Amino acid sequence: MSRIVLRDLTKSFGALSVVDPLSLDIESGSFVSIIGPSGCGKTTLVRVIAGLEPASSGEVSVDGAPPREARMRKRVAMVPQQPGLLPWRTVRSNAHLLLDVNRRANPNDAADAMALLHEVGLSDFLQAYPHELSGGMQQRVALVRALTLHAPLLVMDEPFAALDEITRTEMRGMLNRLVEGRGVTVLFVTHSITEAVALSDRVLVSSPRPTNVVADIAIDLPRPRSVEVEDDPRFVELCAHVRHALHGGMRGTSETR
Amino acid sequence: MTKRVVATVVGITLFLAAWELFVRAFHVRKFVLRAPSTALAHLWKFRGDFASAALVTIQHAAFGLACALVVSLVLGAALSASRFAEWAVQPVLTLVQVVPWVAYVSSVVLWLGAGDRPAIFMVALACTPAYVFATVDGMRSADPATIELLASVDASRWEVLWRVRLPSAAPALFTASRFNMGFALAVAYFVEGANFSDEGIGSIGRRAASQSSGADALWASVFAMAILGFMGLIALSLLERVVLRWHVSQRPTAN
Repeated sequence: MSRIVLRDLTKSFGALSVVDPLSLDIESGSFVSIIGPSGCGKTTLVRVIAGLEPASSGEVSVDGAPPREARMRKRVAMVPQQPGLLPWRTVRSNAHLLLDVNRRANPNDAADAMALLHEVGLSDFLQAYPHELSGGMQQRVALVRALTLHAPLLVMDEPFAALDEITRTEMRGMLNRLVEGRGVTVLFVTHSITEAVALSDRVLVSSPRPTNVVADIAIDLPRPRSVEVEDDPRFVELCAHVRHALHGGMRGTSETR
Repeated sequence: MTKRVVATVVGITLFLAAWELFVRAFHVRKFVLRAPSTALAHLWKFRGDFASAALVTIQHAAFGLACALVVSLVLGAALSASRFAEWAVQPVLTLVQVVPWVAYVSSVVLWLGAGDRPAIFMVALACTPAYVFATVDGMRSADPATIELLASVDASRWEVLWRVRLPSAAPALFTASRFNMGFALAVAYFVEGANFSDEGIGSIGRRAASQSSGADALWASVFAMAILGFMGLIALSLLERVVLRWHVSQRPTAN
């Protein structure tokens, strides 16, 4: 049972309200994206859910427990925007980092980092150092590092934002392959409409700060999804749908095309 | 690499040759400057004495540096965790750094007695500020994304320190070591001359300086220290190449 439940969650820093009362249920095993303008507080929301930041009021539960507890049991795996690889560790040993710390909380069914590295095509780079890798490869290591925890919740905060468009397309295909069939719940923060639609079962469109969900769009594209799904007319339609919701949510800057 | 070695040898040889010529051409007074050939001949003649003295000086410098490093890592880790502690301790360290240690060496010798202890203590004291500053800066430079990532799996402070902050400080610590290497040898030399014992290259230099026939020995001790410093820096570079092989500074440059 790994769903995220938010009940009237708010978060503010002093007088600045970052998350408005927000209630949300995220189904176990689903891929949910949050898309919204820059600085709308998505990252803060993610940090609250990951147990890195306390909520100001309201309730949050992750995997049936408060986020702090889920964090202590290593039940939340994060992929940050910057890969955050340790430059003195090889690819192989970076992939193992999250299992090397707080070992007592390691799951019994930790995934095999080597198999995962092979799966993302890094078999030839096990002994390489991060500076020898491209940005896309570094982010693949970060993804493997998160998946080794075998956590029921994967939290990704704009993980592909710093990559070029060609690499991003590749990464979308790879991420779909990796999470489909693994039963993992994914919370994915992004700026990119294409990315949100291509990856998600559900896209939540956020308003500018304070964060609130202005549209909740189900993505009914079939799975498994290959990159070709992006040529599907339904894909194009859904993208337009998200875009309208996004611009409708950004009052004053709305434009329709 | 070989090109670099050749360049080093050429540079030093030219420098010594110019020095030699200068001394011979202008008949410089003995104590002011000795020709490298004279000093090196003396050094060679008394190589046994200089070698055993060098061992003592190396020990003073090395133990002092090691003590400074240990103290600095502990202190630096504490200071990098607290701005208040950093602001409180930084002025004290700056004072230690700027107050001329030469001024109070005699007091330290009185306190710790003759022999190794004042030499090691003074080296450690003199080298600590640079190491502490390097530790604090290096630890603060650790990638916040990685630290946040470790927080997301509830890694302990100790684990963050050991696995992220400390290795992040390594490059800065090597830079500080280059500076401290020369400093440690200079302090060791001086204290050896001031600590009423007759061990170490510093004591040879001190005795030579007080004798009218001591110019050769004095300049031989200068060359002995130069050789020690050079060897120390080579050892440091080799260590750096192993420990920091992942670091930007160790990547081959296009040439």
